[in-house]
Amino acid sequence: MRLKAPLPSKRTLEVIRDESIRALKASERAVEAQFHGARLVASLALGLVLVGFLLVAQWKGNVSRSGDLEAQSNQELAIIIQEMTGQNDALRMEVLRLEDRVRDADVQGKSTGAALNRAAKEVGELKVVAGLVDVVGPGIALRISDADRVLLPQDFVSIVHELRAGGAEVIAVNGRRLGPHSGFSGGDGVIKIDGMSVGPDYAVEAIGDPATLRQALEMPGGLKAMMSAYDGVTLSVSEIEEIKVRSVVPRTGLAGRPVRNR
Amino acid sequence: MIVLVLAFALGITLGLLANLSVPAVLLTYVGVAVLAALDSCMGGIRASLERTFDDKTFIFGFVSNTLMAGFIVFVGDRVGVRELYLAAVVAFGVRLFDNLGAIRRLFFERMGWE
Repeated sequence: MRLKAPLPSKRTLEVIRDESIRALKASERAVEAQFHGARLVASLALGLVLVGFLLVAQWKGNVSRSGDLEAQSNQELAIIIQEMTGQNDALRMEVLRLEDRVRDADVQGKSTGAALNRAAKEVGELKVVAGLVDVVGPGIALRISDADRVLLPQDFVSIVHELRAGGAEVIAVNGRRLGPHSGFSGGDGVIKIDGMSVGPDYAVEAIGDPATLRQALEMPGGLKAMMSAYDGVTLSVSEIEEIKVRSVVPRTGLAGRPVRNR
Repeated sequence: MIVLVLAFALGITLGLLANLSVPAVLLTYVGVAVLAALDSCMGGIRASLERTFDDKTFIFGFVSNTLMAGFIVFVGDRVGVRELYLAAVVAFGVRLFDNLGAIRRLFFERMGWE
């Protein structure tokens, strides 16, 4: 084969070859760089996918483990047991302390209740003695008939004293309750209780132990025997199972006042 | 960069969807392995920023680091030194922060924030 065109010089050929080689290398590098970049991203992405996956799996496993005693080492279990023992001790102390408080409160409540009961009973008794309440109870009735009106107020004072000595708690004459301020007055055959005349027939009622009261009145040489000796005076004592005596209106405007303790 | 973030998100999504949880016995193994894999990824990102990334090195490093971490935990378990896994944790932890620091530095350089 013959070449019609004149051959390029050797120098020109070398230049062309070098240019081609350079271009090829640049292209190869570009391809390489592209490929390299792709592989970089791909491998890193793969790694990160794996990391993410494992992270979540681990997370879930760890969350589900909380409270799983089997997964704990002996050392960890020992620590847990120690902590729980400590907590138990503390709770036990707390229980004991609270039980103590309950007991204290109980005792206090009981004693308070008892004191209140005692106080209420005392108040009740004092009211009975003071004549502030209606009273019902066993006792005696002493009937006196003084046709000639020979009895004096002192005789009634004697009767009251005698009854009180016999344990009378409440005394009434003709339905008039004798309170702490009651007194007998009068004269010339007229007997007045707290200023109101009564008689000539009298009914003295006393609440107390009937047998003792009767004995107090009927003992030999006692009141009944003495008064029966008066002209026209007759007495009769009868035991009664249930006497009811009304209250008196308490006096107000007292001159004295209670002395306060302390 | 966006691709990497998406990949990480994809991994988390897959993990959530898979409904797979690591059994209690393997928790330490996988934990250390995760740390190793994370360290490898950080190392890879750092290398790519330094333009010295090589995919073979990365993949080999990823797998070997992870396996080695698991192996160390295993050996510790068998030998009776359970705390040996701490060695792996410390080593990978230090490397992780080292890589993180380098990445931050390179990133700032790249952005011209320095």
